[in-house]
Amino acid sequence: MTRTRSMRRRRSQLGALPLTSMIDVVFLLLVFFLVTADFAKKENKLPAALQTEGGGVSTSDLQPQIIKISLMNGETTYTIGQVRCTDRESLESVLKQLPSEPGVAIKSEPDVPIQAIATALQAAKNAGFARRSYVPGETRE
Amino acid sequence: MKNVDLTPMIDVVFQLIIFFMFTSQFGELRRTEVDLPREQGEEEPAKVQAAMIIDITMEGVFRFESKETSLLEIERIAAAGIANQGESGVFDVLIRPDRNAPVAHLDRLLLRLSNVGVQKWKLATVEADGGAS
Repeated sequence: MTRTRSMRRRRSQLGALPLTSMIDVVFLLLVFFLVTADFAKKENKLPAALQTEGGGVSTSDLQPQIIKISLMNGETTYTIGQVRCTDRESLESVLKQLPSEPGVAIKSEPDVPIQAIATALQAAKNAGFARRSYVPGETRE
Repeated sequence: MKNVDLTPMIDVVFQLIIFFMFTSQFGELRRTEVDLPREQGEEEPAKVQAAMIIDITMEGVFRFESKETSLLEIERIAAAGIANQGESGVFDVLIRPDRNAPVAHLDRLLLRLSNVGVQKWKLATVEADGGAS
């Protein structure tokens, strides 16, 4: 009786899964998925041409629309001709009313945060301006 | 003896996959963390890499390949890059600025780049979490 019980136990031990190697593979899978998962925020790009005052690239004979960015009472202001906007949506709606063929040139005062350049470029892109350029101002080093 | 043990083979295969994934993504991992401008921008295929990637910090420090680099050195590297590209190639620069840094830092960099003939640049952005710009 005891002999048959011990034989059964031995058989069940022989048929058991090799846990060590299974854990090995499971951990490897875990590391694999951790490595392939993209934790970093996805970066996008806003392309622009580079122009300098009185020079640089000239892609068209037409004069581009000029967006001037400045700080007024601590608020970023975008000026096109006589029109002033303080956010992307209003800038975009103003740009949509203008012809997009000549393109757009962005100029900014030196103390404005760089976010404003991105906002102006995004608004121009959304308004259908394919030619977007930025004109850096002369700064002291 | 006749049964091939698959477990160690799968082990090795996974090790190799992880090794190649790490080494291929090394360039991406080297990017430093910058509070980028929050705009939608436009997506670009992962394979399209800018010729030069420059970070601008809030304090006006310029970083090329994660190392603090002077404007003079950046100008020299860009000039050498343009010379190597030849006439056919377009040398584009990706700028990753802190969104709150003043435009003066960006202007200083872009003026130097335009001096050596850079005509196109890209501003790196991230999509805003709450949709605010």
